[in-house]
Order: sequence, then C-alpha cells, then structure tokens
Amino acid sequence: MANKTVQFKIKRQDGPNSQPYWDEFEIPYRLGLNVISLFMEVALNPVTREGKQTTPVNYDSNCLEEVCGSCAMLINGKARMACSALVDNLEQPIQIEPFSKFPVVRDLQVDRSVLFENLKAVQAWVPIDGTYDLGSGPRVLPQVQEQAYRLSQCMSCSCCMEACPQFNESTGFVGAATIAQARLFNMHPTGKVLKEERLAALMGDGGIQECGYAQNCVEVCPKEIPLTKSISDVGGQVMKKAVLDFFRV
Amino acid sequence: MASTAQSANTALPKGVSPLRAGTGTSFLWRRLHSLTGIVPVGLFLLEHLISNAEILNGANAYNGQVKFLTGLPFRLWLEIFGIFLPLLYHAAYGVYIWWRGENNVIDYALKGNWFYTLQRYTGVLVFAYVAFHLWTMRFTGIHLTEHYDASVWKVQTELAHPLMIAVYAVGMLAACWHFGYGLFLFAAKWGIVTGEKAQKRAQVLGIALGLLLTLLGLVTIYSFVTRPAQEKNPLWEQPVQEQSQLMAPAATVR
Repeated sequence: MANKTVQFKIKRQDGPNSQPYWDEFEIPYRLGLNVISLFMEVALNPVTREGKQTTPVNYDSNCLEEVCGSCAMLINGKARMACSALVDNLEQPIQIEPFSKFPVVRDLQVDRSVLFENLKAVQAWVPIDGTYDLGSGPRVLPQVQEQAYRLSQCMSCSCCMEACPQFNESTGFVGAATIAQARLFNMHPTGKVLKEERLAALMGDGGIQECGYAQNCVEVCPKEIPLTKSISDVGGQVMKKAVLDFFRV
Repeated sequence: MASTAQSANTALPKGVSPLRAGTGTSFLWRRLHSLTGIVPVGLFLLEHLISNAEILNGANAYNGQVKFLTGLPFRLWLEIFGIFLPLLYHAAYGVYIWWRGENNVIDYALKGNWFYTLQRYTGVLVFAYVAFHLWTMRFTGIHLTEHYDASVWKVQTELAHPLMIAVYAVGMLAACWHFGYGLFLFAAKWGIVTGEKAQKRAQVLGIALGLLLTLLGLVTIYSFVTRPAQEKNPLWEQPVQEQSQLMAPAATVR
C-alpha cells in the first residue's frame, strides 16, 4: 500500500492559439484525493512522470464543493466537476482535458462566456429595477417554489452544453442551461413579465428547436436539474406562442 | 477551427456562437420538419402498412385495396401534396439536421444518445430505401393506376429474390422504428409530454408501436412471399399508353 500511486495525464495548451500537448504525472496515493487535489500536487512539484520540469496547471476553480460551477472539465472523456470527481472512483490513468466546445484560454481553463451571452439573450432575471420602491413581490406558491428551486441550482458549469451533440459551431444551439433558466424566470410571478420576450428569443436561430433529445444534458448535469423536462415545458410554451402569434398578431 | 487558423494565429478561436435571439426562420423549418414526420408522412406510413396487410385477406382483397386507393379523386394531387412533397421535405431537412449534429455516442454511450444516433441513421437508411422503393414500385414497371389487378404480381416479383426480402425487412424496421421514436420526439418537443416519468413512458410506447408496426410489416412480407405466385397477364404489358402516364388523371383506370 505504501507505494501506491495515482497516474494521470493532462491535456495542456499554453495559449488560445497554441498547440495542445499531453503531460503525464504520477503522485503518491492519499485517501480522499479529488481531481483538484491532483492539480495542487502538481503545483507543489511541477515535474512530469518522465522527470521533466513543467509548470503548474492552469484551471478554474472556486468553491471546491460543487456549487460554483467553475471547475468543469472532461475527466475520462466525460463533462463533470473536478472537485467532486474522486480519484478512488476513477479509472487510471485519469485523463483530464479542457472542454472541447469552448475556446481554451490556457490548459484546462476555457472561455464559457457564450453561456453568459445566452442568459442575457433570454433575459434570465427578474426585472425589478426602477425609480421607486415596488414593495414586496407577489407570493410564490410552495409547489412552484419546489420546482423553481431545482432550476435555481444551476451553477453555469456548462456540462450540459459540452455533452450535447447539438451544441456545436454549425448549429450555435443555445443549450439546455439557458432554456431551463428561461423556464425558471417564466414561472416567477414577477419575472413572468418578460415571458413573451424570452420565448421570442428562444425561437431565434440556435434556439430551442435545435434540441434533438439526445438527453445527455440531464445525464451529466451535476445538480440533477430536470433539463429535458424544462426543454419540453418551454417547447410547449413556444409552440403556444407560435400558434397564438399566427392567429392574433 | 480552420477559419481561425488561417487568420495568422492572431484572432482568438470563437467557439460556439451565442443565441441569435428572435432572428431567423429555423424555428419554423425545424418544427415543420417535426410536424411533417407525423402528418402526413407518419399517417401515410400507417395507411400504407394497413393497406399492405390487406394481402392477409387474399390477393383479390389486396388488388381491391389498390383499386380503391388509385381510384381516389384527385389521386395525383393527394400524392404530390400528401406524400411526395412532405416526404421530400422531411427527408432533405432531416439530412441537414443529421449533418449538423456532432455525434458523441462513443464518449457518452447513454440510452437517449443511442436513440438520438439511431434516429439519424434510420432516417438516412429510410431515405435511401424509400427512394429505391418508389423507383421500382411507383415510377417503373407496370403502373398500378392502370392495372390495379397487377398489384400482387408486382409485389411478388419485387420480392422474388431473398436479398430483396432482406432489403424490404430492413427498410420496414428502419421506417417503423424512426416513426415510433419520432412520435415520442414530437410529443416531447411540442410540449405534449413534459414530465420525466411521462417521457420515459412515451419513449417506451413509441418504440413499442414502432416494433408492432414492424411486426405487421414483416407478417405482410411473409404473406406475399409464401402465397402462390400470381400469373402475369400479357394485357398489362400492352403499351396502351406509355409510362409517361404519371400525369394521367385517375379516371383512366377501369
């Protein structure tokens, strides 16, 4: 047991336009290691398995308890959070790569601003800004709260988008997370005021229609958000809008 | 990637573009694709399979069904707007959808992802099969609008070779599967079935219907192949009017 080690390899890239390369590492095993702690070990002693000196690995992370959504990456080919990926549960050598559908900034750090742009495009917020106090908002029924709570757990990790076969450069699909957020704010009694605009946005190119129900999103979502249910629910909302628009606009 | 590489490594890779909120027409086209798959293409598939199964009631019943169908008023217009155009649109846009998807079933070997993949491959397969089937049974050979009584003979001649039976069996399975699963997809996309449990149920139901229709189709093929071969009537060959009769009104049928 004393000699037990952890083997892993990391796909690295020095800058947005440089060529990717692999670095292999081997560190002594400890109980309870997660993938982030592997990067910490590398930072302590940045030497590859072959003894070559290298640099600490660049990656996004923050909370280290699967609520912030920063440390999403491909671990053994699957989109997931590095903090909750426990070494004991992973096949070795652990293969760690940056997300494949987002521009690499450096090493495992990618630019996920497309999700932020998408959330802005559907106005994923409750509009309460104004010149005077609007008072307390309408009551939200507990049944609605329960549904909304699950959706509100989205941490913008983008795993659903990375795993989606329809999310790519030729479709420019908006992805499950944004659709689920549109649903969340459409069910809010005050957020509802923007419902029509959100639905109209989602009917644009790259909108909800691009979903092909491969259902990978709901399988990889670390927060177990009902993404396919949300897409179908909003799918019904846009159809209703499309039909009403056809007859009444 | 290629486009960014050629700009002398100065421009940063852009990645997937954000939602083009409220612009473009792809919503309409994609939903039309979804709709045409059910009505009229799916509906026609059902009609076709049930009509084919008339062979189980005997050769006369089958020929009679063909007489009824080819004798429908505005037959050609029904064919063009009820079958050919919607089918062509569904197929062409389907190929476009298939081409734009970035299949990842190897990395994510999950059930839904397999069905997603299968829907694309069965679609392309059915496209090829239907094109072949239309060519041999609708656009060449003895025309059934003129000789409905040649119907059983024509099908039996088509299925004379074991390889052909295999082609038809595979085409049957692919078409019925694509339709059955497509029903679930329609229900999910249009917000008819939204819940997690309900969608699982709809998925099972859709696949079950697809397999049931396949069974019906295979029984029909079996019935054609095993029943006594029909004699060819020399009258059918007589060039009363030539093949370019596609545009002839249905009234020319006796």
